[in-house]
Amino acid sequence: MYLTGWTALLAALGAVPAAALESRAAAWLWVLGTLALAGLDAWMAPSVRSLGVRREPPESVRLGESAASTLVAANLGRRTLRGAVRDAWPPSVGATQARHPVALGPGESVRLRTALRPTRRGDLTAGAVTVRLAGPLRLAGRQRSFAVPARVRVLPEFASRRHLPARLARLRELDGRSSVLLKGAGSEFDSMREYVPGDDVRTIDWRSTARRGDVIVRTYRPERDRRIVVVVDTSRLSATRVADAPRLDASIEAALLLSALAAHAGDRVQATAWDRVERARAAAPGTRIVHQLADAVAAVEPSLLEPDWPGLVRLLQGRVSQRSLVVLLTTVDTGAADSGLIDAVGALAARHLVLVASVEDPELASLERGRADADAHYEAGAAARASLEREAVAGMLRRLGAEVVLAGPDELAPAVADRYLALKTAGRL
Amino acid sequence: MTAVTEGFTTAPRAASARAAARRGRWGIVVIVLIAVLVAVVVATTRAPDSTPMSTTGTTPAGARAVAQVLRDQGVDVRQVAWLADARIASPETTTLVLVDPSTLGPAQVASIARYPGDVVLLGSVGSVAPALGLAVEDVPVPVAGLARPACADPDAQAAGQVRVQGWGLRAVDDAAVDDAPLTCFALADGAAAFARAEADGRTVTAIASADLVTNGELDQLGHAALALRTLGRHPQVVWYLGDIFDDTTLTTGDSGAAAIEARPDFLPPGTGSALYALALAVGVVALWRGRRFGALVREPLPVVVRASEATRGRARLYRSIGARGRATAALRGTAALRMGRRLGVARGSGRDALVAAIHRATGRPAGEVAALLYGPVPPTDAQMMTLVAQIDALEKEVHRP
Repeated sequence: MYLTGWTALLAALGAVPAAALESRAAAWLWVLGTLALAGLDAWMAPSVRSLGVRREPPESVRLGESAASTLVAANLGRRTLRGAVRDAWPPSVGATQARHPVALGPGESVRLRTALRPTRRGDLTAGAVTVRLAGPLRLAGRQRSFAVPARVRVLPEFASRRHLPARLARLRELDGRSSVLLKGAGSEFDSMREYVPGDDVRTIDWRSTARRGDVIVRTYRPERDRRIVVVVDTSRLSATRVADAPRLDASIEAALLLSALAAHAGDRVQATAWDRVERARAAAPGTRIVHQLADAVAAVEPSLLEPDWPGLVRLLQGRVSQRSLVVLLTTVDTGAADSGLIDAVGALAARHLVLVASVEDPELASLERGRADADAHYEAGAAARASLEREAVAGMLRRLGAEVVLAGPDELAPAVADRYLALKTAGRL
Repeated sequence: MTAVTEGFTTAPRAASARAAARRGRWGIVVIVLIAVLVAVVVATTRAPDSTPMSTTGTTPAGARAVAQVLRDQGVDVRQVAWLADARIASPETTTLVLVDPSTLGPAQVASIARYPGDVVLLGSVGSVAPALGLAVEDVPVPVAGLARPACADPDAQAAGQVRVQGWGLRAVDDAAVDDAPLTCFALADGAAAFARAEADGRTVTAIASADLVTNGELDQLGHAALALRTLGRHPQVVWYLGDIFDDTTLTTGDSGAAAIEARPDFLPPGTGSALYALALAVGVVALWRGRRFGALVREPLPVVVRASEATRGRARLYRSIGARGRATAALRGTAALRMGRRLGVARGSGRDALVAAIHRATGRPAGEVAALLYGPVPPTDAQMMTLVAQIDALEKEVHRP
């Protein structure tokens, strides 16, 4: 049961007889009478079971974008229904207008759209549907909440896709399709053609030149069909927040940008999210990998576990037979080194090219520059110590032959993409 | 159990709601029991009245004892806080008792002067006694003393001996008053505890030492006799214990119009009842707004741990033990690392190579550079800050293009 504002207004009107009769008993009688009338009205209201609802949530919505969840309400009874329906969602789904007034004749139905604007990645489960049906006097009515299961998957934002056009342009330059005649020094021999001014003299093929009489150059095209394995570390260090978002989110951004770029470049990408077990997996040919990866990692949350790096090495050994670029999106610090990251990179670097990317905390840099007072100096010292330790671990990884990319949360994705392009240009894949 | 009809979900059957109510039955029973218990306790216990001279006051300064004895003798004692509430129906059978009359205002005194019945003043009399035809004035009694009646008043004679304390009375010559007042129980300096005069057909009695009617002193000496004989002359007593906000005037008879006249009120009649009704309506508004449109939706949220927490914790450890050595070593290390990178000195090439490179780049003496980067640990925080500032300056010189 619920009351409406009309009941309150009617109760307030009791001031008139109370003032006229100068009697508090009259006030009490009026209020109790009003409540009794409201109770009668609620009793006369139609049963909440006469309203049926069906939820049609969107399959998925990208973080930062809007979508609408539809709730179909139908009058299953023989009386006209008036009231309201609340389509409840958790706060982070951003359903601002979740209450819908309904007025349905017998057999009618209506589609109610609730705008969603999620503020958090993941699988978000809807709350209960609450139905209010008013009585004939509009003083009160019946109310009931019941579960109508629904779920919306909020995909990662992929904010780093704004970096994609610039990287694709550089890729086309490498590929020779661009108008700029800048041939990449990729490793695969493509064809021969006559020399035009501007070509690198080192690409002149002297044997053909001697045979033809003209100056002939070799052209190359970037390697294609290389294998790229992206590993997103979801262990405990990925849970810590860097600039208001978990490290994991920056890793996911980098994974998405890299897989989009590599898929356009014709490489085969597969991705895994790993801590002690595999949390998500994506492997699809072509650019479909991007959507599949976004869908797979959407519901991945950081787990407060130490990562099992030897387990990851075994997983990759079983899954990848050819030489690949293994991109580890993790955290480079002494904790990661203690958990076996260095041994794992050593084992992987024996067969693959390993790129270790780590989200750096910009706050540490600002701490290190702090000179305000003695306390700030101690903080600067602690930050410098952390930075030295990180440098030491990064140096060990580099000596093992791994590429290391350290960047802030917003710069990590373009930095990893640039390093990938550099490796591709150098023909090291 | 949620029913699904033709693809639509409806609310579960009411039977399950009844079952839910049954599950919560004991909770409801307990809540109702607690509510009843609280109501009974609230209804039966009153905060004890600690107001001095109140007929319901049970403290030694209260006056419940005298009121109780008067009631046992068949006297109707009614206490009022507002003069307008007195509504004395028959002044000839009523004793009006005014506690602490010196606080009354002129209009109130005038209304009392018009009152035809008997009046008893308890406490300092102020200007009230002369207005009523009792020509006495207040005198403070710094040292209490016992006094015997030196007058012919039968009530005083019956009492025998009383204690004079607090305030006393002294007769004054007043041309407007015909009869000289009768004062009794006078101390050596003339301060009397009791005064009585017949004026305008009524008896006005003043007991300045009002303490003698309190619970604490009523049973001592002749206090009880004096108080009961003075107050119990008529079958009704109206006991006025002035409220400090009371500015109303005395009413006689049971007429509402007189009460309204006595208590000037600029609000129309019925305002109080209307406000009462509106207050009840606020309760209904609370019921209206308090019913939530469905429960809040729970959401598991991740904990927020900032990545820099560990570093800040380490900084606090450094600070708490004054680890200047470790702090400066780390700052020197990162500065050396950056300068080495800038000057192209390989990491493993040793400190001498770095010092020499910095010496070449900045022109600073090699010994000074070595002291800055590899010198001793600063012994105080101030020296640590100076050293770090010098290293920063050196680094700035190295990085200058």
